[in-house]
Amino acid sequence: MTLEELEVFVTTQANVGMEAYYWWCTALMITIHVGFLMYEVGASRFKNAVSSGVKNLLAFAFMIPTFWLFGWYIYLAFPGGFTPIDLEGYGTPWNVSMGPMLSDQATGVFWAAFTLFACTTASVFSGAVIERIRISAFVFLATVLGSVAWILGAAWGWHPDGWLVTQFGYHDVAAAGVVHMIAGWFAFGVVLNLGPRVGKYNSDGSMNELEGHDLRFSFVGLLMIIVGFFGFLGGCLIWAGADFGGWVNIYGAPATLSSFVFNTLMGLAGGMIGAFWMSKGNPFWMMSGGLAGIFSCASGLDVWYPGLAFVLGFVGGVIIIPANDFLHRVFKIDDPVGAISVHGVAGIWGVLAMGIFASGFPAAGDIPASSFSGQLVGCIVMFLVGFVPGYGLSFIMKMMDWLRVPDHVQEAGIDSAELGLRAHT
Amino acid sequence: MNSWPGPENSWEGVDAYFTSADSEGTLIFWTLVVIAILIFVTWSGARHESDTSKNTKK
Repeated sequence: MTLEELEVFVTTQANVGMEAYYWWCTALMITIHVGFLMYEVGASRFKNAVSSGVKNLLAFAFMIPTFWLFGWYIYLAFPGGFTPIDLEGYGTPWNVSMGPMLSDQATGVFWAAFTLFACTTASVFSGAVIERIRISAFVFLATVLGSVAWILGAAWGWHPDGWLVTQFGYHDVAAAGVVHMIAGWFAFGVVLNLGPRVGKYNSDGSMNELEGHDLRFSFVGLLMIIVGFFGFLGGCLIWAGADFGGWVNIYGAPATLSSFVFNTLMGLAGGMIGAFWMSKGNPFWMMSGGLAGIFSCASGLDVWYPGLAFVLGFVGGVIIIPANDFLHRVFKIDDPVGAISVHGVAGIWGVLAMGIFASGFPAAGDIPASSFSGQLVGCIVMFLVGFVPGYGLSFIMKMMDWLRVPDHVQEAGIDSAELGLRAHT
Repeated sequence: MNSWPGPENSWEGVDAYFTSADSEGTLIFWTLVVIAILIFVTWSGARHESDTSKNTKK
């Protein structure tokens, strides 16, 4: 074998390996949606269990074509703000770049991974609105969240040319802000306009617990979400193949898969233990705490000392419970699965923790080093990118009477009224 | 290399190899069909919900 033949061989194998890696990350991420579906079906009352599942399936199905139509383009074209870069058609659905090409083995698998990230934002949002949002309204809002709002935040805070990255050194490698904050606070904006389920609050303002119909679904679902997040987090690393000789983080700085798995597991364990302690043994908060523990470590998943990751996760697992109580007490919202707290609040903690404990970490190229001020700016931006469209659009939809399932249909049950189905006999 | 049967049975010089890759107008057409389906299904679902609400009223 000549040197040239060896180079071709190595490059080819690296490209095929890269394709295969993201293919399987994408497959594993689908498990997140299996988990969210099971969790939400279990957390719904019997009369609404099927419609909760239908909602999750539709979010998944609508996200894929809309992310192909405009989501990927937004990521590529808007790193500078609201003015698109002239890409000469690249990334638009009628451009050859958005179909199979022999010279491009990367675009398809990266688009797929990002599409599943988008689906994840929709699933996060989905849990907060079960049992009283119109399915068509949910599909529209989920599309806006996953194929517009989230990916705009990613263009700003994940793209190596994003203005938050190049001007502020924003560091959020596994998307505590870019995915979890945006999805969580988008959901909060919608929930404010959507209102609680019928029967959630009494006339004196006291709250009732509307228990789900099958705890086993919720148990298994939450564990499936945790499994799926290994695909999600793996997809947040860049396989640089033969070009750079290994892994880099989303910003192009050196990283390892080992750092991700050290800190994911330690954060998960910390979050579970923290929520166990805080909730006095409530298993659902324990598993939500595990997720919150991962999100608490997500911004700096590439740089944490695993012991610190455990502590960050523990704090995340502890804070989500009083945060959830606070949001319900003050805003009189109804978030049946605690999604706003688990994703929105733990996301804030994750983004800020990077600034508190990892300021000064060098970035790639001309990107400034990480800093608390950069993380704070990023945190505010991610909140606004989620909350503003969520609140604004749902407010308009509420005025149009295209948001909430009418109370009499809620009382009858959405499954029988709209779908003519029962979850089981 | 974008229609069947193609003018040549060869992969020589091929890069984008999907159907209608050399016809931007055709790609725009299919893109519009995708958009139309998504909008129609959402509208249809919303109409079903509204009809259900009327029919469920006591």
